[in-house]
Amino acid sequence: MTGLFRLILILASVLATATVIFKIRKSKMQIENAVFWVLFSFLLILLSCFPSVIYCLAALLGMQSPANLLYLIIIFLLLYKVFSMSVHISSLEEKLKRLAQNEALCRNAEEAEKPDCGTGTTGNDADDRTEKATSGKE
Amino acid sequence: MNDILVIIPAYNEEANIKSVTDRLTGHYPELDYVIVNDGSTDRTAAICRENGYNFLDLPVNLGLAGAFQAGMRYALAHGYAYAVQFDGDGQHRAEYIEPMRKKMDEGFDIVIASRFVTEKKPGSFRMLGSNLIEAAIRFTTGKNIKDPTSGMRMYNRKTIEEFAERINFAPEPDTISWLMKNGAKAAEIQVKMDERTGGRSYLTPITAAKYMIRILVSILFIQNFRGGKTA
Repeated sequence: MTGLFRLILILASVLATATVIFKIRKSKMQIENAVFWVLFSFLLILLSCFPSVIYCLAALLGMQSPANLLYLIIIFLLLYKVFSMSVHISSLEEKLKRLAQNEALCRNAEEAEKPDCGTGTTGNDADDRTEKATSGKE
Repeated sequence: MNDILVIIPAYNEEANIKSVTDRLTGHYPELDYVIVNDGSTDRTAAICRENGYNFLDLPVNLGLAGAFQAGMRYALAHGYAYAVQFDGDGQHRAEYIEPMRKKMDEGFDIVIASRFVTEKKPGSFRMLGSNLIEAAIRFTTGKNIKDPTSGMRMYNRKTIEEFAERINFAPEPDTISWLMKNGAKAAEIQVKMDERTGGRSYLTPITAAKYMIRILVSILFIQNFRGGKTA
């Protein structure tokens, strides 16, 4: 590895960290989400400054190419992140849907001059299921 | 009208919410309170409605931070001078609200109901986390908070506004640390807390570890870069 390339790697990882910090600074990111990227960018800095860590680990695990271990680690971390984001997005979409439905039901109740908002707020799972089951027919 | 609002976030607390609320209103009818039902899937909301409790009914689960923020927005909208974070699971005792208020009047922004001001912290494994957070707060703010994970805290008007309006204001130790770093004055008073009376705690080893990492990274690193008051 040439000295210049290593310098570029270090700069890139520092830049990545700076980007994360900048977003936190602008209050654009929740801390829950920022924690992953902070730790991830630390890992990048660590590995670019001390690549020998990867060589040692690879030798320890009996892997022929340290690059493979590096890819394995990073791909695994990113796969984990993508998967957990998928799960998270699903739950967000479900919540958004329920909120919009509640809003519509509330407006409907207001127009019918019923004081009580029909929002399914008993929170009862059984009720939710029947709501979903019958909604198809309407 | 009383100028203290007790905010009781409740997620699936059907086993506790009635006894907690009745104890509060029975002994201290002069206190105003609001229960925030955080999209519970059990009968929490139904119990609140049957008993005529004052409650906010979130249609979806937002988590403690979102539920508590809803309570803070209620406090702000109704002009309360103080807000108390109060668990819906029966751990906290309302008798300490008055002493907390007295402490507040000495010129503090946050008063924490602490288990370890005069009492010694037990050396158990559970308290390891508490000690780590205490050390992290001392490192960043130079101040001592002996019971940072206590869930019973009183906030003044200025702090209520911050909680109500801003992102990243979960009612957790890292927020307290950040507020203190930015000039808020915090104090602790000694209290006793009860074991939760019913239901179950969500504190598994994995969630506890995740919580610790999140709080520590937040206090030690992220807080140094958080935007100032104008964000």
